[in-house]
Amino acid sequence: MNDDGDQNARNERARRMRNIALALVLGALVVLFFVMTIVRLKGHVLDFTQ
Amino acid sequence: MATAASFTFNARAATVGDFFALLKPRVMSLVIFTGLAGIVVAPGGINPVVAFTALLCIAVGAGASGALNMAYDADIDGLMSRTATRPIPMGKIARGDALGFGWTLAVGSVAIMGLFVNLAAAALLAFSIAFYVGIYTLWLKRRTAQNIVIGGLAGALPPAIGWAAVTGSLTLAPLVLVLITFLWTPPHFWALALYRSDDYARAGVPMMPVVKGKSATRRQILGYALVLLPVGLLPGAIGLAGPLYMAVAAIFGGWLVWDAVAVSRETDIEHEPAARRLFGVSILYLFVLFAALILERLMGIAPLGRATFGAWM
Repeated sequence: MNDDGDQNARNERARRMRNIALALVLGALVVLFFVMTIVRLKGHVLDFTQ
Repeated sequence: MATAASFTFNARAATVGDFFALLKPRVMSLVIFTGLAGIVVAPGGINPVVAFTALLCIAVGAGASGALNMAYDADIDGLMSRTATRPIPMGKIARGDALGFGWTLAVGSVAIMGLFVNLAAAALLAFSIAFYVGIYTLWLKRRTAQNIVIGGLAGALPPAIGWAAVTGSLTLAPLVLVLITFLWTPPHFWALALYRSDDYARAGVPMMPVVKGKSATRRQILGYALVLLPVGLLPGAIGLAGPLYMAVAAIFGGWLVWDAVAVSRETDIEHEPAARRLFGVSILYLFVLFAALILERLMGIAPLGRATFGAWM
């Protein structure tokens, strides 16, 4: 019983950490997409001389 | 033989570290390094954010290849002491989860490379992942002693991918860097295979020492090392590298040949000390060569012979 409880706690903690890591990766992707969009747009949109 | 199903006894306990281990982080670090060299030596400029994204895609693409390799080779990994502690044979990650993880990263890295860097770099990245997974892992690895020779092309491509990220095209110059890593792979891997030959034999992987014997492997290691030494100097001849690189390539190339000679004369076939040394020196060789290339550009040291060989660029 106790072993099962320990195992469940470990599983729960592992899942929480996996979810946090996934959230961080998704957040980083949002930032990357935003920054890359600005970088790619620059010179095409902000250059009013064209 | 162990089956994939027997590995899945507690996949719910998989930690973030287990998934990170699927990416083969040590291989990834060398790939990042050679990819960075391709970006740094390529002519023309690149926005630092785009360069970072390209390098990230190369790293994630290499990691995806590693994860897919571990998923498809879980059965043989479980039989070899070097790989038995990987997450899938240890039962920490289900094979299907690793496949999903690997393919998601593979498609994602190629898509982002295509969207934000350029299509040439994305196509090369897709080719290198497909080559490593399809040609090496699924086809050649279990069928021929030339598995790592041909499969080595996938691991050799990052400098070309980095170059393509900057220029949007591919010329002969980055292929010289590809050729160096390609020729480096057999002596590097066969040194490992010499002292792990029992492992490979048990798993039924037809590595060179298992199929052709240790003596033939030693001769081939020396042959590749002897070819690698002059090829390692080619970047100086085609205007890619300067005197610092040439000195490093000559010294460490000579060291590699020296250790390959020691491997060819090895008498302690049980412990293979020379092969163990060569394995370490081979990693050092590739690392210092590409470090010298990067360092020269950072220090502003001009490449040799650019005027003569400008057409290569």
